[in-house]
Amino acid sequence: MRIDVIKKALSNPLALAGFIIILTIFLLAMLAPVISPYDPDEINVKAILLGPSWIHWMGTDGLGRDVLSRMLHGGRISLLVGLVAVGISTAIGILLGALAGYYRGWVDTLIMRLVDIMLSIPSFFLILAVIAFLTPSIINIMIVIGLTSWMGVTRLVRAEFLSLAEREFVQASRTLGAKDMRLIFTHLLPNSLTPIIVSAVLGVASAVLMESGLSFLGLGVQAPQSSWGNILTDGKEYIQFAWWLSLYPGMAILITVLGYNLLGEGLRDALDPRSGSNR
Amino acid sequence: MLSLCLSACNQPPPTKATKDYAARYPSVAGGTMIGAMTAEPSGLIYMVAGESASAAIASNIFNALLKYNATLDLEGDLAESWTISDDQKTITFKLKPNLTWADGHPLTSADVLFTWKLVIDEKTRSPYASDYQLVKKAETPDAFTFKVSYDQAYAPALDSWSGLQILPAHLLKGQDIHTTAFARKPVGSNYYQLDVWKNGENIQLSRNTKSVLGPAQIDKLITRIIPDNSAQFLELMADNIDTMGLDPIKYSRIIPSRPELQKNLNLYKELGNSYTYMGFNLKHKPFDDIRVRKAINYAIDKQEIIDGVYLGLGINIASPYKPGTRWSNAALSPYPYDAQKAKALLKEAGFIDTNSDGILERDGKPFAFEIITNQNKEREKSAVLIQRRLKDIGIDVKIRAIEWASFISRFIKTGDFDVVVLGWGLGLDPDQYSIWHSSQQAPGQFNFIGYNNPTIDKLLEQGRTELDPDKRMNIYHEFAKVLLEDCPIVYLSAGYGLTAMHKRIQGIVDPIPPAGVGYDSHKWYIPEPLRRNEISAQ
Repeated sequence: MRIDVIKKALSNPLALAGFIIILTIFLLAMLAPVISPYDPDEINVKAILLGPSWIHWMGTDGLGRDVLSRMLHGGRISLLVGLVAVGISTAIGILLGALAGYYRGWVDTLIMRLVDIMLSIPSFFLILAVIAFLTPSIINIMIVIGLTSWMGVTRLVRAEFLSLAEREFVQASRTLGAKDMRLIFTHLLPNSLTPIIVSAVLGVASAVLMESGLSFLGLGVQAPQSSWGNILTDGKEYIQFAWWLSLYPGMAILITVLGYNLLGEGLRDALDPRSGSNR
Repeated sequence: MLSLCLSACNQPPPTKATKDYAARYPSVAGGTMIGAMTAEPSGLIYMVAGESASAAIASNIFNALLKYNATLDLEGDLAESWTISDDQKTITFKLKPNLTWADGHPLTSADVLFTWKLVIDEKTRSPYASDYQLVKKAETPDAFTFKVSYDQAYAPALDSWSGLQILPAHLLKGQDIHTTAFARKPVGSNYYQLDVWKNGENIQLSRNTKSVLGPAQIDKLITRIIPDNSAQFLELMADNIDTMGLDPIKYSRIIPSRPELQKNLNLYKELGNSYTYMGFNLKHKPFDDIRVRKAINYAIDKQEIIDGVYLGLGINIASPYKPGTRWSNAALSPYPYDAQKAKALLKEAGFIDTNSDGILERDGKPFAFEIITNQNKEREKSAVLIQRRLKDIGIDVKIRAIEWASFISRFIKTGDFDVVVLGWGLGLDPDQYSIWHSSQQAPGQFNFIGYNNPTIDKLLEQGRTELDPDKRMNIYHEFAKVLLEDCPIVYLSAGYGLTAMHKRIQGIVDPIPPAGVGYDSHKWYIPEPLRRNEISAQ
């Protein structure tokens, strides 16, 4: 991506807002070990369910652990899961989409029917079913979310390849004797990057939500490791009393997902000439 | 902010605040009491359903031959009296005269015989069959007499007859017990009968006018099915249910902080007949080594679990019986928290931190295992506290909380686990053959930790055949002592049962008798001025 494209993207106020949100959350998560006031796993049975105060800014949970520290460390997990899961799904999506769009014929039919089959299964239930058979752990969650959310990218890449393959510069390159790999990697893929990036950014948002949902159901990150989803579960039981256990992780999930969505939409507007022209 | 909104939404209408719940009212018949349960029963034939939700409803509808009184001694339920033969092998029950089912059909010894045949029938596949399979011969000399003989004296026999709900032969004969419509439309003999069962919503019972024990006071019992505990609590706060079980945080933190709840609710606390424990899979290394088991026991601070998880509403125990009862061996004391002793024992067992990573190793392998538990907040929290304490002495513990059905089928029945945190709910008879005897290790049976100790086996066998109460007590005291020494499980806590009950429900026995807060509930009543409007009761 060229510098002017980034400039253009960030001149969109929504995208800029999204970028700032994501950047802030990333910084907080990265610095968690430094800025956390307490050890996130430090139990204090004499300080159970204390409300927010100067000592514990976000209160304490059912085992007297500091919620702010757990939120910061939990943020690392949520963001890590989001990025890795999307990395996996994007890689698979690009590979299959490129194969389908470039070689067409039976390869295309086969891959697209696979996409149809995968799309016909409600993905959250598929993930629930798969996790029920595996040990829930961060790594498994990342892999499973990645393996069940590549279909959108595949369709996008295939569509881009199909249309790019008819363009003059590709045809010219082919006529000059360029091999498949060269065509794919120097011409088709770089020119398909825009929609891929947009869909990846939006994908992170849904992966963060998915991880929170799984952890909320007890199938995600396991105790004592914190994640926003399982702080929220702890809070569910005491929502009328210990509101801080529900409010803060809920807000964190909301703001993060909002941030990624704003950034994704803003990037799309800025990078896609078809929708960007009217701005 | 959020809490304010929620409580404001649930404020009862102001008219209700004028009711004086402190006043004493005379007992009067009528009214509706509304309760709640988290799981819907699969059916109301308890011997087949075998779940607590089924028992909670069915016990209002059916009677057994015997029941426990306020001080937990056996008395007649359907039986008027019973005699035990001199050789202790035969029990003869005499039924009360003029017993009838709710449909007017007479209830006779033929019904009892029919029920016994049903529970031992292999096709019934009842989880409770084993007690009744020991009956060698059952006969009905006349319509009021039921006689059972055992091969040898069987001490838990009488207790077992307090657990078998007698079913009507005239309605069930020739039916498949697993598919019969009777399970959802039962006809019983106890204080209440089933009125309406709205799937997934509620189960409504109304007073059985032909009850063999005389009439109950409250007209209708409605049990609402509310799967989520916090939703139940919201309904309690909104005065839409009268009673529910509480967890320690609701009992000692939330309700006391809300005067409007305190004004309407009575809280009850009683020591339950159950305990929470951490059990080792004794077939897995290194838990076959008693030094390792003891080390872990010393390393766990049980008081910390009672304070932190149960907010002090629990008791540290040393035998698998309710503290204070005759079966509990008062001479035993729990393993104290002693990290140094734990470390020394592990060293003796060959665990040394060779690579200075803070985790002990033996034969090059780090000491690490996984604790599994079902998705129960108290148990999960206990596991987190255990995890931390064991890390202090160099054991790396992972925790996994699993949904109940797959927890049982995938891990407990297959024996595919290292360590569990679970609880045992116990009956009133001290016999724990099915939990500890080495013969009870088949998939689905209760000795899933694989405990095999010939001394314990012998004591359990003796306890089953000894009828003298004092000798029997000594056997179980010895049993608890050997068990504590051998340490197949770590007792974590015996928790209190906590109940909230709306003050409109009156006549509850106070102080709570040993039989529990629910004892004699047929005498409870709701004074007319305190009743809900009938519309809001629906």
